[in-house]
Amino acid sequence: MVKLTDILFRADDFTLGPITVELETGGYYAVFGPSGSGKSMLLEIIAGLRIPESGKVIIDNTDYTRISARKRPVGMLFQDYALFPHMTVFENIAFPLRVSRLNDQAIKITAGALAEQFFISGLLSRSISGLSGGERQRVALARALAHEPSVLLLDEPLSALDEELREEASKTLGILKKDGQTVIHVTHNRNEVTDLATRCYKMSAGKLALID
Amino acid sequence: MRARDNFNFTHTIFLLLGGVALLFIFAPLAGMFLSVNAPNLFDAATDKVVGNSIIRTLIISFAATIISALFAIPLAYILARKKFPFKGVIEAIVDLPIVIPHSAAGIAILGLISRDSALGSLASSFGLNLVGSPFAIALAMAFVSIPFLINSARDGFAAVPTRLEQAAETLGASRISTFMKISLPLAGRSVVSGLLLMFARGMSEFGAIVIVAYHPMTTPVLIFDRFNSFGLAYARPVAVIFVTVTLILFIALRIYQKKRW
Repeated sequence: MVKLTDILFRADDFTLGPITVELETGGYYAVFGPSGSGKSMLLEIIAGLRIPESGKVIIDNTDYTRISARKRPVGMLFQDYALFPHMTVFENIAFPLRVSRLNDQAIKITAGALAEQFFISGLLSRSISGLSGGERQRVALARALAHEPSVLLLDEPLSALDEELREEASKTLGILKKDGQTVIHVTHNRNEVTDLATRCYKMSAGKLALID
Repeated sequence: MRARDNFNFTHTIFLLLGGVALLFIFAPLAGMFLSVNAPNLFDAATDKVVGNSIIRTLIISFAATIISALFAIPLAYILARKKFPFKGVIEAIVDLPIVIPHSAAGIAILGLISRDSALGSLASSFGLNLVGSPFAIALAMAFVSIPFLINSARDGFAAVPTRLEQAAETLGASRISTFMKISLPLAGRSVVSGLLLMFARGMSEFGAIVIVAYHPMTTPVLIFDRFNSFGLAYARPVAVIFVTVTLILFIALRIYQKKRW
């Protein structure tokens, strides 16, 4: 469960909030709105990459407002996927497992299972530079889920893809919904989330409103 | 073929002008190599004083570079990533050793390590004299060459997208882990370039070293000493050997760097 209460964040002349919202575990929540409306900022606040001026970020009944990003039970898929270019696909997926000091055998098993889930088992030894957009997205998803986050944040996950790859990538996101993963998906394109979202919010000039 | 097609009139003029710059670097060195007397070169090559000075120069410059890196790389990272008051002043301080005369740098370091300084008197209490020691040479080398490492590493860190560091954080990596596993490897090429530049610059230093430690002699000081005492004919072979050794070393290091990064 993700609960935001009276979140307020100011950056230069932009104000986000106040935002109060409660998202139940296992839901696929879509937040859409135009560029610059504060969608990515909201995700960064939940992820701990930005600290709000006031308000609380509660995940699974724990207050994470002042807790650093690395200690939050959150996975994030960045708009450009932010894959580490000096690592292979396997090393990217294994990264969160390595930093949590899992042993090599457990890393191999977990990374292998994630690769299978996202149909990238054949890519594990490949370098990031040789991957297509769709493959990158799947690697980034596998990596974001490797440390079993309570909530997965998707920042415009389909915008970096060509039209023909979007459908395939959208199906990949469907896997998350099917698995009962709590997802917050932000996008500027409402059509992208019509079939996926269990609840839709609209972000406009830093204000969040429930649509359906 | 394509490159040839793109080579227009402007490029040709630039090539001619650039050729003059290249010739300016190459001609004096080529002249030095061509005019060296073979028996003198053999004598210098078998001279233990020359060999020892080259080994000393390489070792001290290497040590100065590695030890400086422990301090320079964190500073470079902070300069690349953080905004803070007086950052411009700090960047100007970093560049100071490039703009001040190296003899003046030598005087400044001498003040730091002479017997009446805090550091010098502390060393004296242990029976050590820092002036004229390898430590003084290392300090002089580090002082004049550290800006090359800091500036190159800073540019390297600045080119690493902050998004990748943020991604590492959301994946559970600590700040130090993010630095060691993401920032440093991605800035690796620039950091290694900086290390090589610092090493090379330290090795070739004369002005500051000659003031803090005439003895034990580094090769640039030895070249000067041979020139002053015996003339050009005796200084030139030492210079040729030193330039050859450094060229071989740097070509090898550059090849390794290109393969690795």
